[in-house]
Amino acid sequence: MPEPIRVAAVGDVHLADDLRGRYAPLLDGISAEADALLVAGDLTQHGTLDEAKAFADEFGAADVPVLTVLGNHDYHSGKERDIAQLLEERGMTVLEGTSTTIETKAGRLGVAGIKGFCLGFSGRCAADFGEPEMKAFTGHGIETADVLRRALDDLAGEEPDVTVALSHFAPVDGTLLGEPKEIWPFLGNYRLGEAIDESGVDLAVHGHAHAGREKGLTPAGVPVRNVAQPVIQAAFRVYDVVPRRSA
Amino acid sequence: MNEQLARDLECAIATDPRTHELGIHLEVRGDHLVVCGEVATEKRRAMVLDVIREHDTGLDIADHIVLSAEPGPGGPGHERIVPPTSS
Repeated sequence: MPEPIRVAAVGDVHLADDLRGRYAPLLDGISAEADALLVAGDLTQHGTLDEAKAFADEFGAADVPVLTVLGNHDYHSGKERDIAQLLEERGMTVLEGTSTTIETKAGRLGVAGIKGFCLGFSGRCAADFGEPEMKAFTGHGIETADVLRRALDDLAGEEPDVTVALSHFAPVDGTLLGEPKEIWPFLGNYRLGEAIDESGVDLAVHGHAHAGREKGLTPAGVPVRNVAQPVIQAAFRVYDVVPRRSA
Repeated sequence: MNEQLARDLECAIATDPRTHELGIHLEVRGDHLVVCGEVATEKRRAMVLDVIREHDTGLDIADHIVLSAEPGPGGPGHERIVPPTSS
């Protein structure tokens, strides 16, 4: 039986002072369950530095590498760079169009991450057409997928045994079921899914859709997991990902 | 009129710096303003209701807000993921 790489994940924890003490006791000793902890954005409620400190205090209790992307809430106060810097200073990795690898007992885990952005899904999405404002909105959604694709290409050069794509916005609509369809274009971006399908990804993890469901697939069959805390209703979920070479 | 009131209040709850809650939904039912959605703590529920009361709608507030399930002790759920053989 091949040894899996154990990937713990949660998203949308929306930390503020009123949630201090909720996560740290549950993350202490997480190494018994997982090799790394991925956090899929919306680390804070209002995007303030004080809330980022609360997040760092809570998630700093994890005794495995903590890898995050930011979410829309983390951008709200215009402090996203300061938040990322604070988390990096606290030993966490913040991915934004970047990737990293972690050596585990079962092999090398590679994670490429990006916040992502709105766009919608094939046949029902914003189009790069018309007013400058519409082009800017659409263009940013397209660009964010291109950046993820480049990060995954760079990661492939590291030859990880397991590759995970981490985002805040959803790369597929299958994990949005339960959310009103009218807002799906603001919850995800099908081009993120295309980038994932082109890049040998073993697992895609996202958040943002609190009323969605946990499990979905990309068009090419890559497992997608919505780990927003209101969806998984736990401090984290663990995905035991079997390396390709041993599958 | 009622529909517009509900949407305006949803917008207020999403943008008010005390709340920034994007998942709250309101409906007017007779003399009641029904407030649905999910928040993480009792404090955040109270803040949402405060923002609504400040708008003085004259309606009775029916608080149907659900608190997120608090993660508790016990082993996490594990799922085994095996890569597709075709890739």
